[in-house]
Amino acid sequence: MTDDKRARNEIIKENSRQLRGTLAEGLQDVVTGNIAEDDHQLIKFHGSYIQDDRDVRGERAKKKLEKAFSFMLRLRIPGGLMTAKQWIALDDIASTYANGTLRLTTRETFQYHGVIKSNLKRTMQAINKAALDTIAACGDVNRNVMTAANPHLSKAHRQAYDLGKAISEHLLPKTGAYHEIWLDGEKVEDKSGAAKKDTEPLYGVHYLPRKFKTVIAVPPDNDVDIYAHDLGYIAIIEKGEVVGWNVTIGGGMGMTHGDLTTYPRTADMLGYCTPDQAIKVGECVLTVQRDWGNRENRARARLKYTIEDRGLEAFRAEVERRAGFKLGKPKPFKFSGTGDPLGWRQSLDAKKGEDKNWHLTLFVENGRIKDRPGMTLRKGLRAIAEEGLCEFVATSNQNVILANVTAKAKTKIEAILKAHGITTEVSSRLRANSMACVALPTCGLALAESERYLPGLITRLEDSLDKAGLRDDDIVMRMTGCPNGCARPYLAEIGFVGRNPGLYNLYLGAAFDGSRLSKLYAQDAGEEKIVALLEPIFMAYAKSRKAGERFGDFCVRAGYVKATLAGNQFHADIKLA
Amino acid sequence: MTSIPMLPKNAPFAPEDIDALNKVVAKTTPLQRSWLAGFFAGFEAAQGGAAQPAAAAKPRLPLTILYASESGNCESLALKAKKVAQKHGLDAKVYDMADADLALLAKAKNLVVYAATWGEGDPPSRAIDFYNALMSDAAPRLDGLRFAVLALGDTAYAQFCEVGKKIDARLEALGATRAADRVDCDLDFAKQATAWTDGALGKLAPADTGASSATVVHVDFKGGGYQADDDEPQFSVENPLEAEISALVNLNGTGSTRETWHVELAFQEPGFTYLPGDAIGVMPENDPELVDQLLRAVGLGSDAALLLKVQKGYDVTTLSKAAIENFAKLTGRADAKKLLDGDAYTKFAADRQLVDLFETYSEKMTAEQLLGLLRPLPGRLYSVASSLKAHPGEAHLLVGAVRWDSYGKKRKGVASSYLADRRKMGDMARIYVKPNRHFRLPEDGNKPIIMIGAGTGVAPYRGFIEERVELGAKGKSWLFFGERNFTNDFLYQLDWQDHIAAGALTNIDVAFSRDQPEKIYVQHRLWERRADIQKWVADGAHLYVCGDEKGMAKDVDATLLKILTEAAKGDEDAGRVKLKELTKAGRYQRDVY
Ligand code: SRM
Ligand SMILES: Cc1cc2nc3c(=O)[nH]c(=O)nc-3n(C[C@H](O)[C@H](O)[C@H](O)COP(=O)(O)OP(=O)(O)OC[C@H]3O[C@@H](n4cnc5c(N)ncnc54)[C@H](O)[C@@H]3O)c2cc1C
Ligand SMILES: Cc1cc2nc3c(=O)[nH]c(=O)nc-3n(C[C@H](O)[C@H](O)[C@H](O)COP(=O)(O)O)c2cc1C
Ligand code: SF4
Repeated sequence: MTDDKRARNEIIKENSRQLRGTLAEGLQDVVTGNIAEDDHQLIKFHGSYIQDDRDVRGERAKKKLEKAFSFMLRLRIPGGLMTAKQWIALDDIASTYANGTLRLTTRETFQYHGVIKSNLKRTMQAINKAALDTIAACGDVNRNVMTAANPHLSKAHRQAYDLGKAISEHLLPKTGAYHEIWLDGEKVEDKSGAAKKDTEPLYGVHYLPRKFKTVIAVPPDNDVDIYAHDLGYIAIIEKGEVVGWNVTIGGGMGMTHGDLTTYPRTADMLGYCTPDQAIKVGECVLTVQRDWGNRENRARARLKYTIEDRGLEAFRAEVERRAGFKLGKPKPFKFSGTGDPLGWRQSLDAKKGEDKNWHLTLFVENGRIKDRPGMTLRKGLRAIAEEGLCEFVATSNQNVILANVTAKAKTKIEAILKAHGITTEVSSRLRANSMACVALPTCGLALAESERYLPGLITRLEDSLDKAGLRDDDIVMRMTGCPNGCARPYLAEIGFVGRNPGLYNLYLGAAFDGSRLSKLYAQDAGEEKIVALLEPIFMAYAKSRKAGERFGDFCVRAGYVKATLAGNQFHADIKLA
Repeated sequence: MTSIPMLPKNAPFAPEDIDALNKVVAKTTPLQRSWLAGFFAGFEAAQGGAAQPAAAAKPRLPLTILYASESGNCESLALKAKKVAQKHGLDAKVYDMADADLALLAKAKNLVVYAATWGEGDPPSRAIDFYNALMSDAAPRLDGLRFAVLALGDTAYAQFCEVGKKIDARLEALGATRAADRVDCDLDFAKQATAWTDGALGKLAPADTGASSATVVHVDFKGGGYQADDDEPQFSVENPLEAEISALVNLNGTGSTRETWHVELAFQEPGFTYLPGDAIGVMPENDPELVDQLLRAVGLGSDAALLLKVQKGYDVTTLSKAAIENFAKLTGRADAKKLLDGDAYTKFAADRQLVDLFETYSEKMTAEQLLGLLRPLPGRLYSVASSLKAHPGEAHLLVGAVRWDSYGKKRKGVASSYLADRRKMGDMARIYVKPNRHFRLPEDGNKPIIMIGAGTGVAPYRGFIEERVELGAKGKSWLFFGERNFTNDFLYQLDWQDHIAAGALTNIDVAFSRDQPEKIYVQHRLWERRADIQKWVADGAHLYVCGDEKGMAKDVDATLLKILTEAAKGDEDAGRVKLKELTKAGRYQRDVY
């Protein structure tokens, strides 16, 4: 293997018998909560990560206990749409097998944390019973497909959802490993001839070089952050109907501190396609990345680097060659912002008298659905589900929408929310537009707190906002515990990225509509420094912003940071405060 | 090793003559020995005339010593009694009820019984068959029999010395004559028991023994004239060892509902030895705050010297019937006395401690009066969790903290909180060894062992495996462990992982009751794995059960019976017989508490 330069994961995948590895055996080993090293990589494809509680790492050894291992499970819910029945099932699982919370992610789905090995299989089966799964929610495959929030909002949203669901199914791995290991499905093949009998027409034995993410936007909302993903579709709408799609490729957030060859990147415009071409185009983008992507260095294996290295033109040409048709010129469109409009909202087609139903978008701080004294969010949502008053939609901003609500159900829902202390009020627009990744204690890559820290930081910054009178101004702020960018911080007007416990890099200057990346403004800032740096900028913004000027644009105009016009310029002309 | 009287080194003979005589004596039967005794007695009587055999040297009286013992107290008392019997000219045989039957009783002329009470007024497990037979109609008349019973118990239990009492009454009912009155001993039984034994054997002894007759030459055995049946440990309740606490760790992870302390005790004393399966006794001290409450309740709050005395030496928690009785007598409180009527006691005593009595019926008293009410502070036993071979100069314990809230008070177990709360690393603790001959690894290291334990019941198995590693034993081993949650309550998890990796532990099955909706306990795992268990047993496996009696051992026992019954094609009696065989053969051993 000496001259084999491939990344270790490539060999693991190759030897895994289509993602089986020794997972089944590992589940049988009762003396440890861990699984085999290589299986750590394989289980991702099944929608799960092995983690350990980092809060207690210090004490375990002297208590003669191994690390406090448990599994994170991520569901695959295209477009984030769930029935009330499914919600109830998911809620049950949270308390029966997980840590009692449901965690809405930044990609329209749920995660469970704290599922121990002995419960993993039963949890998978419970999820399956709810007609859901975790297949390909993680791993080097096409991940959960995000579509513009709420399929019920309009005809176009429904069309976006239908495309998203179709793509998710079309690009799903075909291996029988998942059913075999978790659902006691009949063995697809004996150990020997895995690759032969159980084949992956799209993925082969090596799958993709890296994760692959697909989203679908319906302007003017860019809630899915189209520029942050490998593959994106922007709905081109005429008379409320989708007539075709602008296709974007090569977006991504992840980077590594100190490695300038890695950087977040906003997606490029690939071209325009008709509805019936959409799936084929997606498939070809995926297979070209499969064949061209970097399989030696996982830090540069995402599609965004393939585009950087091979060039957009070459990539487009190859896609068109494989698709057998040329892509059209992108059509004009306009995005207004990336946030979720909170509160009640009626279907857009209502005026046309088609669908008069209502939709309530609830702010869920950092996506963590749990009961707190005074606000029993989890119980409340469950009560609503049990009454069957709505469908549920997980958004790309870690929020939840109670969708497709009749006028009659609306009043009932309002009563239940009240009874559980659930309000649509948020203390400030800054908080309403904020996101934080999970980070500690479960995330193995976290360098600093995020989900557990941001709410308190915002409370402090709200004092500064008051001084500037900006409490009701929309400013997008996102935090992550490491540079991987799970809350898309480089597309936030104010971005925090953890470097060390209590210390964050501060990024400014991203566009409110998600079309421009931010730039590093301060390094290793603790809370005091953060407040000291931001308060004067808030003041200045309040005083000297132009009419309608967004905070991110102001930071660039006022010269706090230079504009980042392309991903490969992310590390260029930085002036630290 | 049976006990033949040997001439002590301090006998009035030359050493080589002592050896020579002992060679002969060693082979003698009781009859021959009595004959010799009679012969020389006759010779002496003949005023130095020509030696001639005494016409008929009457044989010494036979004595049957019977014991019912779980943790060995009655057993060692019985073995001590055998030695004492020699002095009284009695020819004693000692029987464990486990190996005795009614025929033996029918034959017996003189009988001494040492009986412990377990469970809630139950006989020790190994004695159950004999006990039931004795209580049944099958029991023979015992008219010619003279007997005496010593009962061991613990006043902390409502059914104090129940088994001893029942046996005593039953023997009388069957027509036997009581030679000495029964005595019911509390945990501090040592002195009382020795005195009773001497007295009772004196009464049973042939009338003409002792000074009045010369048939037996009285010999002072204190010199340790013969091989002891059992090597009494050098360190005992009466004579504990000061050991240093060299490690003190709560093994349960943060967030656990459990609190289980791993305690390492270090000592230089080479005489302090133990074997895996033994228990280590800890002489605790009371929580000074509790003692202070108690003293204040009786108006002795300011007496610091008294506080220290009580803290170190007296039981201030056990709310026994006896305590209430004495309290009522002393104070003349009729209302307190009422607590002894009907189920009033059980109602009041449940979840309460002695201090509640003193506070409820607050009565002033003198220090002397108070001490008169308190029994000595008993030691607490802990199965040793280490092998002395693997950890020379150390003994490890696994101590579950006993805590509960009741009647507005935070309650603590005396010894467990003494170790968990009031001791820290580097402090000393007074300990002793409590051998347990009935919880031992098989002599043959190639025999498979199946170890079943929940919670602290896993402790001795850590010692077992360490011992087997040191001995290079090749036998297979299988651990069944149960607790509440995998993540935080897997006691000694890393040790088990190492032993498995090293091949020292062959199988492990775990049952964590609170990790999933339905409760899973060790007995469920046993049942799941019954096929293999049956194989192992067929291959001569030894079965061990350790831990909580009520919480686990009963259910495990029932499940093992089910498993053996299944192996016997569903014939439950055959299963029961098999389980008994295993017990008798020492292949099914329990250490439950
Ligand atoms: C749950 C979630 C954050 C949240 O607070 O919601 C999340 C959580 C994790 N992400 Fe992420 N990522 C999440 C969205 C993202 C996004 C945002 C997006 O996709 O819109 C990004 C940036 C976009 C991108 O992919 O570039 C993102 C980029 C990463 C990366 C960096 C990938 C890269 O190309 O550099 C990693 C690390 C890796 O893959 O090596 C990562 C890895 C992880 C892991 C699994 C850590 C690990 O690999 O051990 C985190 C699990 C933490 C935990 O305890 O739950 N996550 N992750 C999001 C789940 C989305 C989903 O439902 O699928
Ligand atoms: C042979 C043998 C081996 C043993 N091995 C071990 C071992 O390895 N590890 C171990 O931890 N223990 C072991 N024990 C038990 C141990 O000896 C002690 O009994 C135990 O530690 C409690 O002692 P303590 O002084 O802390 O509690 P105590 O002061 O003796 O209090 C115990 C009493 O408190 C009361 N009580 C306890 N809990 C509650 C409750 N929740 N509600 C109401 N009342 C309650 C009960 O009356 C109980 O009898 C063993 C016992 C024996 C006989
Ligand atoms: C689990 C357990 C239950 C007991 N139950 C009783 C009881 O019901 N009544 C009693 O008088 N003594 C009871 N005792 C005390 C024992 O009888 C006492 O410790 C005795 O000395 C044990 O003698 P042995 O070592 O010969 O078995 C119990 C002891 C334990 C550990
Ligand atoms: S951004 Fe980093 S710390 Fe936060 S969840 Fe993603 S990987 Fe973990």
